[in-house]
Amino acid sequence: MISSSAGYAAREVPAPTRDRGAAERIWVRLRDDRSGMIGLVVVGLFLAVAAAVWLGLAGQGWSAADGGRWEPAGPQHWFGTNVLGQDVFQRAIYSVRTAFEIGLAVALLSTALGAALGALAGWYSHGWVDGTVLWLMGVLDSIPFFLFVAAVAYAMQGQPWAMHLAMIATFWTTTGRLVRAEVMKLKTREFVLAARSIGLPAPLILARHVLPNTVHILLVQSTIAFVAAIKTEVILSFLGLGVQDGVSWGLMLAESTQEVLAGHFNNFLAASVMLFALLMGFNLLADALQDAFDPRQGTP
Amino acid sequence: MSYTLRKALQGLLLILGVTFISFLLMVWFGPDQTYTLIGKNATPAQIQEVRQTLGYDRHFLARYADYLVELLTLDLGASTSSGEPVSGMLARTVPVTLALMLPGFVLGNLLGVTLGMAAARRRGQWSDRLISGLSVTGMSISFLIIIIAFQVLLCTPYGLDLFPVRGWQVTDLPSYLRYVAVPSFALIFVTLGYNTRFYRAVFVEESARDHIRTAHAFGASPAVVMWKHVLKNSMVPIITRIMFSIPLVIISGSLLIESYFGIPGVGKITFEAITNGDQPVLKAVVGLTAAAFVLIQLAADLLYRAVDPRVA
Repeated sequence: MISSSAGYAAREVPAPTRDRGAAERIWVRLRDDRSGMIGLVVVGLFLAVAAAVWLGLAGQGWSAADGGRWEPAGPQHWFGTNVLGQDVFQRAIYSVRTAFEIGLAVALLSTALGAALGALAGWYSHGWVDGTVLWLMGVLDSIPFFLFVAAVAYAMQGQPWAMHLAMIATFWTTTGRLVRAEVMKLKTREFVLAARSIGLPAPLILARHVLPNTVHILLVQSTIAFVAAIKTEVILSFLGLGVQDGVSWGLMLAESTQEVLAGHFNNFLAASVMLFALLMGFNLLADALQDAFDPRQGTP
Repeated sequence: MSYTLRKALQGLLLILGVTFISFLLMVWFGPDQTYTLIGKNATPAQIQEVRQTLGYDRHFLARYADYLVELLTLDLGASTSSGEPVSGMLARTVPVTLALMLPGFVLGNLLGVTLGMAAARRRGQWSDRLISGLSVTGMSISFLIIIIAFQVLLCTPYGLDLFPVRGWQVTDLPSYLRYVAVPSFALIFVTLGYNTRFYRAVFVEESARDHIRTAHAFGASPAVVMWKHVLKNSMVPIITRIMFSIPLVIISGSLLIESYFGIPGVGKITFEAITNGDQPVLKAVVGLTAAAFVLIQLAADLLYRAVDPRVA
């Protein structure tokens, strides 16, 4: 079943679960998308680095100050050192882990929240549940995001999770709107009507028959949320609202804002090149996923 | 008429929502302000008095109503760090922020429409692929990196050294242009990728419609079709896009740009309020900007209705 517009829905064979043919077709389209595969490889490489940091195989010397101040790149310190004599390469590598922790937590939880609330709103559309969820989305979308984070951080008084919480609380709205629209479409399909007519309870129908058919939205939205989370972390860390302990590309860039004017580019180059590579990989992957799931709307 | 009424009611509910959230986060859950105001060595009577003026002894809903009244009457109290009235701070900083952010915001959207149109007209050709590829590249660069790079390349001896590194000593038009240039370049650059991509998709979708094919069949030149038929019919998504990017681009953008370049606008006083825990400033800025944004949305909704009778 690829998401089809309502007009074609009636003529299609009702498919309550994704058949293998569809999954295979999607994979074939993804495989033939050259830039998408490049994105997948880049993301895979970064994930491997993050795993190596988690397992303690890399980036463990990120906080040791064993070099001179602002040493240039060399065999001892591949990307040079920072103002405290810490190894910039180690810090940049360790930051991959930080990025994946933030990205995964925000992407998974905000997508799950968007799926749950969007499905409820779509299922009970035009009722009070729907009205409440729509109102909540409107409210959250109306508060300028960084001000919302500032408010959450103020309320939580420097808790390290304030940033994650604020992102999850706001990023779900796009997913929620898309899932709501899709569920409104799906609930008129025969397989859903059949499930209702034999008396299955609504939560079961939603979980077993409706939500699995929104996987294409959830997958694409979670990659987009991942990108947004990493980009947001950088700016929040610069504003002092982001990562509180450890190191991240955002903290390295925040550090570099003082250094570049004096001609020290170690932090800036290391963090920005790695950040760009990961974001580019994810953006290419998100585009390819979108095209693979929905070839009609894809870029040619 | 019922449309206007319905929209107004929705807007009112949204304003209640955004102010309630900012009240909840900053006034209700926010840290106790008592000792910020009177310092150490206060007598129990003094503490009691300050807590009473802060309203800590009052009911939850009464305090929310107080907050609403504060916002409505613009009687916003004084900053806890400088003692200056918040309404005076806003009157001083809002014009600076608008002067700083508007040029980049407007140019970023105009350039985005132009590039999106150019790409949509040559859909699938190499120039479309180039523009689309550059858009994704632009989307992958962090705002902070763009600001730092532009500053180094344009304002320091490591680059061209053309503009002031930071600050805002604006007295006349030439000095305004000197100080607004680099922040505007950064703002245009950071929004251009997203804008181009969005507008391209809008134009591609609009170009596929029947009436466009008819216009081509009648022999109208591609340029005329683009300008008169495609652009005109795409105005609703374009206006919606511009409206909805206001909170992210202008307000959140000013927070980053002003704190980075040391420009005395709303973003900078907000940034300082965040670092100092200056509650009166924070709650005023958050509540007012969110409420103002709801009003802008409402105005846009009513405008659509006036322009396009299909909107219901």
